[in-house]
Amino acid sequence: MSTIIADNLTGKTSAGDITVTSEGGAATQSLQQGLAKAWVNFDGVGTVAISDSFNMSSITDNATGQYRYTMSSAMSSYDYSVTFAQAVDDPDGSTDIWTNGFRSNHGCLPKTTTVVSMGLYDGVYVDCGYLSSVVLGDLA
Amino acid sequence: MAGKIIADTLETGAGADIATSYVVNGSAKFFVHMNASAASTQNSLNQSSLTDNGTGDFTHAFTNSMDNVYYTPTGHGYYNASGGNSALAQWTLKYAAGGLASYKLTSSVRVDIVYVDANQNRTNYDYEGAWGTAHGDLA
Repeated sequence: MSTIIADNLTGKTSAGDITVTSEGGAATQSLQQGLAKAWVNFDGVGTVAISDSFNMSSITDNATGQYRYTMSSAMSSYDYSVTFAQAVDDPDGSTDIWTNGFRSNHGCLPKTTTVVSMGLYDGVYVDCGYLSSVVLGDLA
Repeated sequence: MAGKIIADTLETGAGADIATSYVVNGSAKFFVHMNASAASTQNSLNQSSLTDNGTGDFTHAFTNSMDNVYYTPTGHGYYNASGGNSALAQWTLKYAAGGLASYKLTSSVRVDIVYVDANQNRTNYDYEGAWGTAHGDLA
């Protein structure tokens, strides 16, 4: 077994591109592009608070069931991928299925290179005590 | 000549280490940011093509295939007030008469982009923005 001890990994041919071999050994893929660039777990009830995170500077309670988080290091463009999930315990006591997603008004994208806006909906917007989100894409 | 390192573990100068299997297994094998209304891709990893099968119905083909069909795709669309819909957009795996197995393949995944209204009914919709990811093992 071998171990690499390092604080930084940088591509030799291209600084931002390190290739890794796939699990099955039949393909290669960019290490940098496959890594999550930010993630957050937070409590959206009452005073919104981050439980744990990576590359996250703050989170804001926009309104009931609507949140906005800000990443510490910016993405290179808004063309990144985001997913979002919540716990299933329904705080309003209904049995409705929750849907989560990203809300935009006036034709604007619900994200910039540093900020993502999201919402949680089951007919009306609802707060939730356990939410998480992951960002994939290219850092600036 | 490109450099090549073969190792089982990565360790920082501070002594924290992680098995390289976490780096390889834990990395996303696919992501996409797409415009459903234009049926176009703005940014992606491991996507060879995007096929528009109908309203809110898209197939993402992978450049490098997955090792098996037990990978984990997730994604979202987003509600745009100008779209005239009142609920948040969802990105969901295609499931029809043929079952999930007809649409979640090692070489591609087919998804519906929908909104769910206050009565919990879903409708396919071509949202301006949608994005998805997949984790699992490459072949």
